[in-house]
Amino acid sequence: MTALHDPPVSPPVGGDTGRGWYPQDVQAHRRDAPRFCPGCAAPLSLADGGRGITTEYWTGADRVFVCFCGDCGWSGDIVLAARVIGHEPEH
Amino acid sequence: MLTAEQNDELTDFDPGTPMGELLRRYWYPLAFTRELEEFPVKHARLLGEDFAVYKTASGRYGIMQEACPHRRASMSYGVVEPDGLRCPYHGWLFGLDGTCLDMPAERDDTNFKARVTARVGVAQEMGGLVWAYIGPLPAPVLPRFDVFVMDGVRDIGWADLPCNLVQIMENAVDPHHVEWLHGRYFDFIGRSQGFTAPASFQKAHQKVGFDLFEWGIIKRRVLAGATEEDDDWKVGHPLVFPYNMRVGGANVEQMQIRVPIDRHTTRFMLYTTHAPKGVPYPEQPQVPDYEIPVFDDKGRHRVDYVEGQDIMAWVTQGKVTDRTAEHLGRSDVGVSMLRKMFKSEMAKVARGEDPLGVIREPRDRIDLPCEKNKFHAGPSFALDFIEMASMRFSPQKDALKKLHIEAWEATENQF
Repeated sequence: MTALHDPPVSPPVGGDTGRGWYPQDVQAHRRDAPRFCPGCAAPLSLADGGRGITTEYWTGADRVFVCFCGDCGWSGDIVLAARVIGHEPEH
Repeated sequence: MLTAEQNDELTDFDPGTPMGELLRRYWYPLAFTRELEEFPVKHARLLGEDFAVYKTASGRYGIMQEACPHRRASMSYGVVEPDGLRCPYHGWLFGLDGTCLDMPAERDDTNFKARVTARVGVAQEMGGLVWAYIGPLPAPVLPRFDVFVMDGVRDIGWADLPCNLVQIMENAVDPHHVEWLHGRYFDFIGRSQGFTAPASFQKAHQKVGFDLFEWGIIKRRVLAGATEEDDDWKVGHPLVFPYNMRVGGANVEQMQIRVPIDRHTTRFMLYTTHAPKGVPYPEQPQVPDYEIPVFDDKGRHRVDYVEGQDIMAWVTQGKVTDRTAEHLGRSDVGVSMLRKMFKSEMAKVARGEDPLGVIREPRDRIDLPCEKNKFHAGPSFALDFIEMASMRFSPQKDALKKLHIEAWEATENQF
């Protein structure tokens, strides 16, 4: 797993904007997505021979990886957060 | 966001792929019953494979590989016989189970017939559609979902769309799009084209929720001015895994069917049963079917009706949307939930288990949860649904509106 602040949690936005693609985000996803199941330690990604799936979404400054392990069935969210927040106001 | 290889796995339906193996565990509608009454054999394509679908004179349905095992001519031009389908080219006859029953030009004293078997599936009729199963035998039971077997007046709109099934299904777990695509955008188009878009679609979402259930994912929403006691949250409506969405409201009961023809093409069908209370339903010897428009005469998407807007959003993502370039937010949690579901069901199939929604015991009718008082708009939602959605192109549009209005007049409490 990548350290939270090196490289930065939130990848720089943009990239190949001329085509509307985001190669930096693609690279950051491949680099930072959890590689092993927290439940059984099986690899998660197809590239590593795993049978899981990891969908990334962003909320505020956080990057959330919604993970499913095809080996043991474990499912959960793993959050790369720059700051841990307690209560927050309704928004 | 996904990796490129995850996206490929999710969207590739060829035989032998994880997704292809999963999707081959389900029944799909491949023809209108009407079509095979008018002519008893037709071509159909499903999951990237070509088939001939036919009906014998005794009313039995069959499906077999399109290419004749002899010299590969199309069996969709075949001769329908009492016990199977005969190739138009040299007359080889194949039974419903794929057995070769006749090879007219070959000598009778060889065992050649026994050595050539056609690949077949299983087909049967339900609700004005011919359904087929092409996966491993024994075939599961065809689920008799409420819309297909309930009393009412039926109506089927359809279009073939140049895009992958999965991006269409992701729309079925995306409640927020309604407020924008069918609300704000519809209003924008209406103002420019001189019509009034339905206000019921413009209400802001306060909360969305998703629950797993035995047939897929139930989608819920609380709209501005409503509470969790309203139907949109309390009942919701489901994505019926892996290729349907049950929708409706105000006694317009609909299944949105999305048949994966191949990786880049999906047949979109809107199967609707109108079932208002307190009125007799007219006889329907055949269920009307009609093609809904995708493009206008300038080649731009028709966006002046609800499903035309959906189609625009699905198709303009590209034949297979590039999920390495997407940026999901918290409002997209239903999308990640569906992807997990596809993946977990692929794993079940790999283990030799039946995936979600495959049943082995017959059931007379499977009722699915679906709002009655949709968008807390009352019975008038039925007219919005008919007038502003795909049913505006139905040959029986006016009769359907009349049916609902007569029902309101006869029976005040429609819910």
